[in-house]
Amino acid sequence: MLSIETQEENGHTILLLKGEVDASNSVILDEAITKVVVDGSNSILVDGAGLEYISSAGLGVFMSYLEDFQEKEIDLKIYSLSERVYEVFKILGLDQLMSIYPNKKTALES
Amino acid sequence: MNFFDSESESLQFTLFNNYQHSLSSLPSFISNPNEYYCGSAFMIKLPQIHIGKLSLLLAILVWLGLLFVNLVRLVGILNEMDSGIAIEFTWILQILYFITVYSFYKYSINKSTQSDFLNLIWRGASTGIFAVSVYLIIGFFYTSLGESKLAGDPFLKTFFYHVRFGLMTIFLISSSLLWQHLILYQKTKRVVKQWQAYEIALLIAMFLVFFDREAYEYSFYFGMVLLGILAVILSTNLKWIPYLTFKEKWKSLLFLAIIILSISYILWYTISVDMEYEYYPANLMGNLFLISLFWFILVYAVLSFLVTLFNLPTSSVFEQKLTEAINFQRLSQSIQPEENEEQVLDILMDSCMSAAYADAAWLAMKSDEFPEGYFQERFIDRKTREEISVLIESQKAIQDWESEKRPDNLSPINLRIAHSKYESILLVPLVINKSVIGKIVLCKEVRDGFNKEMLNIISTFGRQACIAVENHRLLNQAILNERYQEELKIAQRVQKSLLPTQLDHNEYFDICAFSNAADEVGGDYYDTYKLDENRYVLIIGDVSGKGTSAAFHMSQMKGIFQSLIQLNLSPSEFMIKANSALSKCLERNHFITASIFIINTAKQTICHSRAGHVPTLIHKKKLNKSEYLEIDGLGLGILRNMQYENHVVERTFTYRPGDVLVLFTDGIVEAKNNKSNQFGYERVRTLLEVYNELNPQEIQTKIIDSLHDFVGRDRLIDDDYSIMVVKFTEHNKAS
Repeated sequence: MLSIETQEENGHTILLLKGEVDASNSVILDEAITKVVVDGSNSILVDGAGLEYISSAGLGVFMSYLEDFQEKEIDLKIYSLSERVYEVFKILGLDQLMSIYPNKKTALES
Repeated sequence: MNFFDSESESLQFTLFNNYQHSLSSLPSFISNPNEYYCGSAFMIKLPQIHIGKLSLLLAILVWLGLLFVNLVRLVGILNEMDSGIAIEFTWILQILYFITVYSFYKYSINKSTQSDFLNLIWRGASTGIFAVSVYLIIGFFYTSLGESKLAGDPFLKTFFYHVRFGLMTIFLISSSLLWQHLILYQKTKRVVKQWQAYEIALLIAMFLVFFDREAYEYSFYFGMVLLGILAVILSTNLKWIPYLTFKEKWKSLLFLAIIILSISYILWYTISVDMEYEYYPANLMGNLFLISLFWFILVYAVLSFLVTLFNLPTSSVFEQKLTEAINFQRLSQSIQPEENEEQVLDILMDSCMSAAYADAAWLAMKSDEFPEGYFQERFIDRKTREEISVLIESQKAIQDWESEKRPDNLSPINLRIAHSKYESILLVPLVINKSVIGKIVLCKEVRDGFNKEMLNIISTFGRQACIAVENHRLLNQAILNERYQEELKIAQRVQKSLLPTQLDHNEYFDICAFSNAADEVGGDYYDTYKLDENRYVLIIGDVSGKGTSAAFHMSQMKGIFQSLIQLNLSPSEFMIKANSALSKCLERNHFITASIFIINTAKQTICHSRAGHVPTLIHKKKLNKSEYLEIDGLGLGILRNMQYENHVVERTFTYRPGDVLVLFTDGIVEAKNNKSNQFGYERVRTLLEVYNELNPQEIQTKIIDSLHDFVGRDRLIDDDYSIMVVKFTEHNKAS
């Protein structure tokens, strides 16, 4: 179960993730991010407060954009991840490559 | 003449037969001999051939006997003296004659069991013609004799009287047996009972003469009324008539007319001539049995004639329904895999056209298989078809019909069009799996040519054909799926063989491992490698995602591990080179996590590097504590450039005998129970702290059992999971 809500705020595009990302629905997340990029946003914020679980396939989605975003100078920030989900990012080492913040405020300030 | 040889057996057989059929109507020499005598120890050779012949011969003998007895009695009557032969002899012979004729016909009709109604009626008619011809010849003979002395000779008259009696009996009995066949067509228990009652009543009627002694008393009239009523009740069973085709009905009318005329003539002759004959030594024809048969045959023949006559105009409807039923059956038969759908559509077209009496029709398919449309035309050319199509498209009802959101609800639609040739049109949708795959267009030259009944039957045909096509497609799908399953099984077998069956180790440590895939194939990987006598490499890995794609990447990982490890690389060097190799192999959104350990049993050290894999658990015996190895690292294939080097860390530490390493994949810690709680790192750690004294196999079993208990025995773990347990042994074991 995954639902994604897209919001516009002061030039940032916020993706609100709710539920679980696994192999069966990681495509939805991929499509949502692609759409935001196609729509021309260069600052994407991912609100992970409602994210209960992310599988390796879900991490693969974020990972696949790393180089692309670096080239196009698009900012992707993730915030408000639950401890359990953050742990998954951390174990894989993605916390070293991605901008992950404890909350929205810190994400916007950086 | 060997039927005398077999006579005793035949009689024996008859008794036996009657014993078997205690309810059997009349004593008979026939019925099915085969049934009881097959394989019997004293089976006679082909007894069934003799029964017909035997009863025929007996009938002739009895008739001759009757003639002789009556002639003798006639002599007595003429000379007014007692001939010494009582009238009971005549009666007995008469009854015997009835029975033998009955036996002969019962046998011969049963033998030619083609239940062709026309044949049966023709048999009756031909017997009638024969009997009447003989009557006429006798009459002609007497006319030619004129007033000569011979014409008044009582002996000659008695002889011809007996001939007529014989023929009449044959005609009546054979016809009544034919009627029996017709009446008992599509028999019910009730009709069979009625017929049996009628036969028993007839049997009693034969013997009535012994009691009333030819005096027509109340018992005679009572019997006559009873038999008459029974005959009328039986005569209402005319179920065979609707099954005749139009042509057959005309023929049967002719035959029935012949029978009616014959019976009427014989009846008239009997009443007007034979009953007036005063010299007869015995009244053979006034028997209740014969009178009842007269009535029965006449009533049934007349009723059949009338019902057939009135059925003539509706017979085409019945034939049509029969054709529809056959068509329906043809459509219902599922298509064989080697056949194609067009054959079913062909039958459907034929069925629809014949059901609606359509003048022309075409089939239009719009499916993926026929992108430009598949057309099949019947009695219509392309030009006319296109003209009509345009006319149809222009109608509003059709636009609504075609834009119907739920094709399940579509039913055939009836239209009027303004075309020079065809004035009414019926569109039949073909709906398969909730989508319209095509339509049949039926055209008629008359206006409003399609009625409700046609619509009903055609929509049933359409649905049935669609079900047949759908079943055919599903069957093909199932066969294809079966093949994929086979392929997956092969993949599963191949993948199983990629995991090592023998794990490399020496006497300083024990090792075991287990892996389980959520689908047929999975993305988990573990392996071992012996560098030299003291140095062993362990690796565990997990490909992102699961299923077939993960399985392919897992096999790549195996190849990379087995090649690179031979270069004697350190764990961090291995990770860097593996990352670089995988960067060129993996899809962009896939990565692999891995943990690698190089165990040196001489130095009792472990060199370890982690590439984004779930941390490895170690139990330290000295501290009696289990903990996770904390070390940074990044998954393989995430950074596909030189920067990866900055994220690899390598650590060497020492171990002691009794220490335990538990390597596993995220499938274990992320397994969830029905409350969505994860198994988690802490549970694994606690388990190891409790069970570290056990041997590796036992520890592994404890952890897996505990995992299954946590998830729930009836639930499946929906991710691949693997585990490898290493336990370092005491020094003294080596010595």
